[in-house]
Amino acid sequence: MTTTAITAIIVILYLIGAPILGGILAGLDRIITARMQGRYGPPVWQPFYDVLKLMSKEKAAVNKTQNFYVFCFLLFMIFTGAVFFAGGDLLLVLFALTLASIFLVLGAFSSNSPYSFIGAERELIQTMAYEPMVLITAAGMYLATKSFFVADIAAFSTPLIYYLPGIFIGFVYILTIKFRKSPFDLSTSHHAHQELVKGLTTEFSGPTLAMIEIAHWYENIFLLGIVYLFFAFNPLLGVIVALLTYFLEILIDNSNARVTWQLTMKSAWIVAATLGMANLIIVFFKLSV
Amino acid sequence: MAFLKLAGTVTKRMGMKSACYMYPVVAREFTKTTRGHVELDSADCIYCGLCQRKCPTKAIEVNRQEKNWTIQPLRCIVCSGCVDVCPKKCLRMENTYSSSVTSKF
Amino acid sequence: MSKRTIIPFGPQHPVLPEPIHLDLVLEDEKVVQAIPRIGYVHRGLEKLVEKQEYANMVYVAERICGICSFIHAQTCSQAIEDLLPIEVPERALYLRTIWAEMSRTHSHLLWLGLMADAFGFEALFMHCWRLREKILDMVEDTAGGRVIFGSCKVGGVRVDIEDAKLKDIVIQYNDLEKEIKEITDVFVEDYSVKHRLVDVGVMSKEDAHVLGAVGPTMRGSGVAKDMRTLGYAAYKYLKFEPVVETAGDCYARTKVRIREVFQSIDLIRQAVAQIPGGPIAVKVTGNPTGSSFQCVEQARGDVAYYLKANGTKNLERFRVRTPTFANIPPLLKMLGGCELADVPVIVLSIDPCISCTER
Ligand code: SF4
Ligand code: SF4
Repeated sequence: MTTTAITAIIVILYLIGAPILGGILAGLDRIITARMQGRYGPPVWQPFYDVLKLMSKEKAAVNKTQNFYVFCFLLFMIFTGAVFFAGGDLLLVLFALTLASIFLVLGAFSSNSPYSFIGAERELIQTMAYEPMVLITAAGMYLATKSFFVADIAAFSTPLIYYLPGIFIGFVYILTIKFRKSPFDLSTSHHAHQELVKGLTTEFSGPTLAMIEIAHWYENIFLLGIVYLFFAFNPLLGVIVALLTYFLEILIDNSNARVTWQLTMKSAWIVAATLGMANLIIVFFKLSV
Repeated sequence: MAFLKLAGTVTKRMGMKSACYMYPVVAREFTKTTRGHVELDSADCIYCGLCQRKCPTKAIEVNRQEKNWTIQPLRCIVCSGCVDVCPKKCLRMENTYSSSVTSKF
Repeated sequence: MSKRTIIPFGPQHPVLPEPIHLDLVLEDEKVVQAIPRIGYVHRGLEKLVEKQEYANMVYVAERICGICSFIHAQTCSQAIEDLLPIEVPERALYLRTIWAEMSRTHSHLLWLGLMADAFGFEALFMHCWRLREKILDMVEDTAGGRVIFGSCKVGGVRVDIEDAKLKDIVIQYNDLEKEIKEITDVFVEDYSVKHRLVDVGVMSKEDAHVLGAVGPTMRGSGVAKDMRTLGYAAYKYLKFEPVVETAGDCYARTKVRIREVFQSIDLIRQAVAQIPGGPIAVKVTGNPTGSSFQCVEQARGDVAYYLKANGTKNLERFRVRTPTFANIPPLLKMLGGCELADVPVIVLSIDPCISCTER
């Protein structure tokens, strides 16, 4: 088989498998969270039931453009993951990711609700908070492997984590923002219990909300894919570390209050500037001499 | 400064039994003193109407001529006032909640 | 001038357990003004007294609020007993005290949970309520109801707690105390919690006085005023000091309530150790006359009952000033100039009980 054919198969597998895996992960998340809180929790399949139910609901949108934006969000999220798992350019992947989230923000802005309006503003602030660290991650991977292509990075013989421990920690730190977990679930949280009701997603309902859910499943699998990259020299280890990271996020989610956006921003940048930058500089010198 | 102060408790909780139970699969246990709902032993009732007068929510209706005693369970606030006042002690406070209904009366 | 947004906060809002409406005028994420509107759950108790017999008003008063339930019934009974007048047996006074303190512990745990929820800490919320549930079970076991105790009446109490059960309550509270400590330590020490509470919604001692704050809201600002020191019920026989914190921010108010939980447990221990035997109620005859004013410390602050009677079986006037009503002006003061993200925390920090306020 040619490499193109293999790539095509992987992409198709991703298109079908990611939402399933992502949904199961979300279901496990809810069970573990419930256990941590002393509750029973729902069945593993609950996220799928939720999405199916949302699908069957009436389409009620504040305005038509909203659905278009959300559709673009889903589309670019899928595109991001597809390029990533096809072994494409990491920079393209990361900017497609940003583009996707900008579409969601636009969707929230387009409905004149003050809740989603402020939620959208906060989402932008969050994007600003995590973006430097994401770029540093890409730069670090490039410095270590001399390639921006995910396929090359994954095939790199020495463990990436050996070069980039600081960047790994920094990336896990901002993952909390990306996964929308406490303490950084500012713009929207998993449960509608904050001053902004549901923030960013307040004005979405029915099939539109289902699209956002599915997009998040794609997104989560893709993000864990980046975590995997750090340990790609040993696929089994990579998967285990990715799952452990997710568990760590759940633990952090359950032992923190939601902090203010000022602290989110400050801490994410401090982490990027110290752990990220220091690691980058060290790798730069180590590999250039 | 202490970070992740609750982390210990939540990890400990993961291996423990859930604090809530699967109602209604697992039945709720009522205590002996629980005020659940009012029951009448109609054999002893003399239809004096004292319970009706005492009830703060007018949930009980007594008709002396027709020898009829009715209660609207949804109006009753389970204060037990009627039980205390009944001269024949024919009203009982059961310790189980009145069962769910699909219509108001 | 920057653009102003008005965020409608309530009457239906996930953070608010009860309906109050606040129009939050925002500049970016800063609240410049908060305009309250209440009256969504008014039930007209003042009129109801004309129809209900005075003894029945105790049941009605208890249902003013689902959390301070017992203390409402207690205050109402106290006022009617004052009008009749009758002496309540000692044992009944002690039992009332024990139930009132149980009510305070469960109310404060409920509040701690709601507070945790307000700053987005779901696990902490669940654990506070898990502990509260154990207290509710004890209440059900002794009084018959879970949140509506229904055990207080004019002239005493309606059910007795046997001595064995009283001892059992103390044992259960001893175990519970350790668990509560484990959870409340999170409020006191955790970095992310402190980040959300310290220096948020500060109210000075002077403001607390001038705006007429009551209860933990006031004690968090350094004013040592606790109605229990008046010595009603069995408090005159028990040893305690009002809990005071001086910082005046949400963190101080939280700490006041946490310390009060332990204070209440201690009061229950003292009361159980000293409780005398004897009857639990006296017979009530005649109709009340005159007027009575009673102040009692609820979990949220002092509640004031004014009752007037004219010798018939119905009261003439029935007025309740609940703690939340007194705490709304201080709340508006605290909200001015705060961040939007802090609004739920500040609103919760007065422990609002809207159905109390509107009766
Ligand atoms: S008070 Fe007792 S005897 Fe009289 S009507 Fe009611 S139930 Fe019957
Ligand atoms: S328990 Fe109270 S409310 Fe219910 S019927 Fe009896 S007197 Fe009326």
